[in-house]
Amino acid sequence: MGRGEAPLPGAGLAVEAHGLVKQFGNRRGLDGVDLEVPAGAFLSVFGPNGAGKTTLLRMLALLSRPTRGSLRLLGVDALEDADALRSRVGLISHTSMLYGDLTARENLEFFSSLYGAPDRARIDELLRLVELDHRRNDCVRTFSRGMQQRLSIARALINDPELVLLDEPYSGLDPHAAELFDGLIARVRAGRTFIMVSHDLDRGFELCTHALILARGQVVVCAEKEQVDASAFKDLYRATVGMGVA
Amino acid sequence: MKRSDASRRPSGFSQFRALLMKDIRQELRTREMLTSMVVYALLVLTIYGAALSQVADGLQVVSFAGGLLWALIVFTSLLGLNRSFSHEIESGCLEGILLAPVDRSVIFLAKATSNLLFLAVVEFIVIPLFFLFFLSGADVAATTPMIVLPLAVGTVGVAGVGTLLSTIAIDTRGRDVLLAILFIPVIFPLLYACVSATTTAFLGVEGTFGAYWTSCALAAAYDVIMIAAAWGLYEFVLDA
Repeated sequence: MGRGEAPLPGAGLAVEAHGLVKQFGNRRGLDGVDLEVPAGAFLSVFGPNGAGKTTLLRMLALLSRPTRGSLRLLGVDALEDADALRSRVGLISHTSMLYGDLTARENLEFFSSLYGAPDRARIDELLRLVELDHRRNDCVRTFSRGMQQRLSIARALINDPELVLLDEPYSGLDPHAAELFDGLIARVRAGRTFIMVSHDLDRGFELCTHALILARGQVVVCAEKEQVDASAFKDLYRATVGMGVA
Repeated sequence: MKRSDASRRPSGFSQFRALLMKDIRQELRTREMLTSMVVYALLVLTIYGAALSQVADGLQVVSFAGGLLWALIVFTSLLGLNRSFSHEIESGCLEGILLAPVDRSVIFLAKATSNLLFLAVVEFIVIPLFFLFFLSGADVAATTPMIVLPLAVGTVGVAGVGTLLSTIAIDTRGRDVLLAILFIPVIFPLLYACVSATTTAFLGVEGTFGAYWTSCALAAAYDVIMIAAAWGLYEFVLDA
């Protein structure tokens, strides 16, 4: 499945969330979020700073539990059986989640061993995919930001996840590295559901099949891209951002 | 890219081994933790030496060597514990580990074990130097080798409790200070028992070995209780 193609037919919902609330003291990070993402879709999540985007993504990555609400990922209750889901979810963040003093190969072997016995063939395949095969034995500390981000894609795919989450993946990337990153995402889109949090409206909207705007912890709009007018969506986004800190 | 076979859930032991080997490999490559701890310990030994050289020759260093030794161990370990999570938080690596289906208690065990190993290595270097600096000319009792037991029990407790407390301090501002503030009061019972047992072994006075064994038993009980509590609380601490 290539970039921008339709969701997997008949594959059900990858994400099914109802009434998600996340309370931080007196503040609500999420305030009753309802969300349904079809399997195979690419959902881009937009919103101003503090809107709850990262809170939502951390919840979907099983790094945080909701205060209230229900969450099903890939057909499994995420609140009841998070451990079973962890091997089916991957996260690419603006931090690389890589050890600078380990080599590219050692990093992938380490993360692979947390999901099962290290699969050396898969590690080689991933290193070739992200075009870092020639730097496999170099410490990650010596890599450029773009190379680290490419390697973090390999890390996130080490467990062959069905649901891939991206948290501001373009942060700190130059335009060329961002293009390379887009190309890589397109190559690994097949059979996976992607959810990306981004401030880059143009790039995020181009990549997605579904788009969502979050503000003040609530869903402002969530729609299939084909059913929304791009310029109207962008205007709505700008108006939402204009609301200030959510 | 083709989908591979579904991931298999690895055993807790293989995850423990992977986490431990990763820490050891990193430390062997950077030597950050070991170097800083050994240098700090040598500095403290030098200061002890300078201070003690000012007092009378007849001073019985043996009578307070247990306290000196444990002060050296505790403050050196504090330095190491502060650094033990530095690699994990540097590029969000801890989140990378938490994304995987790893039981949180396995993460605790692996980190506590690596801290224990590094502390043991530092003690292996520093304790002979301590003897050389302060006890080479002193009248040391034949029971001195018995310090090994309180040292072992104490180091296990320091590594276990220190791992939990350094995890609590990870996401805080001024975590170095916070760790020290939490660490010293929490390990005080262990420290008291270990200093008492070590001093008894150094002095080797007849009839005091009941106190030695009682202190060692108290320290061991502290280890069991605190490490079991840390094991149980670790998931809550990481998810908080």
